[in-house]
Amino acid sequence: MTKLLQTLLDSIAVGSLYALIALGYTMVYGILQFINFAHSDVFMLGAWFSFVLARAMGLGGAGSGSIVQSLVILLGAMLLCGVLGFLIERLAYRPLRKAPKLNVLITAIGVSLLLENTGQLPQLLGKQPARMPSVIPDLVLVEAAGVQIRLVDVLVIVIALGLMLFLQWLVFGSRLGGAMRAVSQNQAVAALMGIPVDRIISFTFVTGSMLAAAAGFLYAAKYPGLNQPAHSTWVLLGLKCFVAAVVGGIGSIHGAMAGGLLIGFVEMFGAAYLTPHLRDVYVFTLLIAVLLFRPSGLLGLARVEKV
Amino acid sequence: MSTLLETEGLGLSFGGLKAVSDFSLRIPEGGLHGLIGPNGAGKTTVFNLLTGVYKPGSGTIRLGGKLLNGLKPHQIARAGVMRTFQNIRLFGELSVLDNVKVARGQHARAGFIHSMLRLPRFHQEEREMEEECLNLLRVFDLEKRAHEPARNLPYGDQRRLEIARALAAKPRLLLLDEPAAGMNPSEKQDLSDLIRRIRLEFHLTVLLIEHDMKLVMGVCEHITVLDHGCVIAGGDPRAVQDDPRVIEAYLGAPIEEGQGAAP
Amino acid sequence: MNGGAAVRSVKSNAAAIAAGVLFAVLLQFVLRGVMGPFVSKVMLDIGINIILALSLNIVNGFTGQFSIGHAGFMAVGGYAAAAITYYGSLLLWGSAAIHGDIMGPGDMLFLGACGAGGCAAALAGLVVGLPSLRLRGDYLAIVTLGFGEIIRVLIQQTGDVLLTADEVRSASPGTVLTSLGGSLGFPGIPFYTNLFWVWIWVAVTLAAVWRLKYSGLGRAFLSIREDELAAEAMGVPTTRVKVTAFVISAFFAGIAGALFAHLVGTTLNPGELGFQKSFDIIIMVVLGGMGSISGSIIAAIVLTILPEALRAVADYRMIAYAVFLIALMIWRPSGLFGVRELWELGPFRRRGEAKPS
Repeated sequence: MTKLLQTLLDSIAVGSLYALIALGYTMVYGILQFINFAHSDVFMLGAWFSFVLARAMGLGGAGSGSIVQSLVILLGAMLLCGVLGFLIERLAYRPLRKAPKLNVLITAIGVSLLLENTGQLPQLLGKQPARMPSVIPDLVLVEAAGVQIRLVDVLVIVIALGLMLFLQWLVFGSRLGGAMRAVSQNQAVAALMGIPVDRIISFTFVTGSMLAAAAGFLYAAKYPGLNQPAHSTWVLLGLKCFVAAVVGGIGSIHGAMAGGLLIGFVEMFGAAYLTPHLRDVYVFTLLIAVLLFRPSGLLGLARVEKV
Repeated sequence: MSTLLETEGLGLSFGGLKAVSDFSLRIPEGGLHGLIGPNGAGKTTVFNLLTGVYKPGSGTIRLGGKLLNGLKPHQIARAGVMRTFQNIRLFGELSVLDNVKVARGQHARAGFIHSMLRLPRFHQEEREMEEECLNLLRVFDLEKRAHEPARNLPYGDQRRLEIARALAAKPRLLLLDEPAAGMNPSEKQDLSDLIRRIRLEFHLTVLLIEHDMKLVMGVCEHITVLDHGCVIAGGDPRAVQDDPRVIEAYLGAPIEEGQGAAP
Repeated sequence: MNGGAAVRSVKSNAAAIAAGVLFAVLLQFVLRGVMGPFVSKVMLDIGINIILALSLNIVNGFTGQFSIGHAGFMAVGGYAAAAITYYGSLLLWGSAAIHGDIMGPGDMLFLGACGAGGCAAALAGLVVGLPSLRLRGDYLAIVTLGFGEIIRVLIQQTGDVLLTADEVRSASPGTVLTSLGGSLGFPGIPFYTNLFWVWIWVAVTLAAVWRLKYSGLGRAFLSIREDELAAEAMGVPTTRVKVTAFVISAFFAGIAGALFAHLVGTTLNPGELGFQKSFDIIIMVVLGGMGSISGSIIAAIVLTILPEALRAVADYRMIAYAVFLIALMIWRPSGLFGVRELWELGPFRRRGEAKPS
């Protein structure tokens, strides 16, 4: 029972992180129909920016940062990644707006390699793993029946949930969201209706990147051991989140949230009750199973090619 | 004359929208049939149903008595139904000749091992295929450009290459989806002649979607009129032309004028 | 059967075999002494990379699918072959050291192991291809990437202590399959890979890919790349053809993996065969031009030599690659040589004339 509750809590915490990142994948896919491979690197940089900002503020000693400091770090990382997302779209993807999808996909891989290897330059982040200063006090809020509810986990869930609610409002409740949905339906028609398509696409990238940065911050707070920028764990994490988006139904905001949680559950329960070594295997097996039986994902709509 | 294509009660809906309903059609062997109707009437959907791109929601499709329902598009193609596309879909980077060879390839007997080891059968078959395909291109006056990439052809040639490609598979039934779209009057005249000619030369049965009334009325022996997914009239060209339901479907557009039918 | 065709058949096969064997023998027995150990090593790497680029070109270039898990097939082939030569040598000769001279019993075991590695990878290709090739292109990319990662994780979970000669004799196949060195790598694989074998396999791969491209199956591949829906309507069984492309491609990736595993100075290591390696191969195919055989070969050569030349500025190498890749996609989207072969560029020549068989 204790193990079950603890695993459940872990699943929700990890799942909501996945969901935050998955949202970025799904938003870009919904609007431009390609896998933004560089998204995992934006997430990675979100974590590393948090590290750099925390260091810059003199954190890293025994104590942990204040709430204000943590908030500044979070917003700073989001801002930096937002700018990065804007630049990536503007410089790499926009020139390819009318190019075949394969080219865009390869470009995305190129951007991903660029970010990783630039980040890894000795003058910048370096090739060594780092330890994130503690930005959130390591407190156990509640301990009942052997289950520890840690402050980090609560914050991860609360912040992720808050951001998702905000996004929900943004996409479905605001004028801007209406424009985003219109662009994802049909760019040409949206442009004819007077929607500034390019600006909406930029905005989508910025939003997705900021969510990824928030996920990066929370990830670093939860797992302080940061691997070096080009380490494969980052891409793998990003990949799992893309899997979450696909499982939930790519292009669907709610699908990404549900998919993120589902992947979190599968991974954590598999690790706890089967064997922890094969957690990636569970995730990809789930992906293949879902694609086989419901190719458009759990909450996705099938698209039919027009002949 | 025996029936080649027979559909009964064919229907398909997308969500709540009925794209085609209760579509029944019978084309005799060797017939030249027209399928007309205003834009959005469901003509291309009928083609997509006949070729297996869409699975029919209801009804049956038979080719020479053989049930085609549920077959994959390539199986239907191999059963003898070939088509052209409304928006030309050639293999652009491939040469004109290779475009035709791809379709001809379904009759090849030399398998993987033959081509990997370049066994005699491979060479023999390649040569036969090349000869046959070049002959076919000659019929369409395309043999001079056989080695050019298909995308380099002018528009009219691309339309004709699509027909040639479909014929290379030696079909029993040829479906032509607006073959005259974008052609000028003299090209259209040539196309009419071509359709009549290949039909005799290749012993074809043809089902033709076309907006150009002059062409349809000129070449087809029987015409079926579709509106909102339903058959509203059918018969020989003269009868269809005078049918009040047809005139109404076209919102009073004078179909005798030829061009003006489609909005 | 027609006599002319039989003559052509004999001629084309004889020419292909003679050219391949001649080149491989020349490299191994004449040029190796002239080139010295460093250049020889680079020539080995070039050969293996050519096999990888050519084989990935079948799926990504000819058929227009997007596989980014090629290193996974390489790993399957490499580990299968390594298990066969290592444990096979232990069983047959009591030690894993190289046994016999060129074309000797050890070499024959190695040759068989290469074939088996290729077949194991082909089988893996079938297993991955069957479900995922029904999916749209970018899903396929993700599934292949996921597959590559699953392979890597599974290999990392194998035991890191290898079996001894006595243990192998009494071990079940399952035990052997789970004793592959784990995440530390598979040490002690005999170094059977040499210039001769690598370039023989390059010749075989080249001949196969070439003949594939200029055959009915190759046209079917290309038609799927150009327009899958139209291909299906023209009677091409697209799913089956795509799976075939995948299986052939995986087979040669497995061969390359086997050669890589038995290379001097490398320890077969699952970490080295991750998606980074897959990306390297993709870059070769893209640079050479999707579908261009000559382009793939040239790109494989250039991209093998370049890192060696840029060793001094290794930190900037990947950055330069990445920028180059992005710039290429923006300004020359079909690769440096485009989809055509080198000799088809410039004034247009009839493909019939340019095509030996």
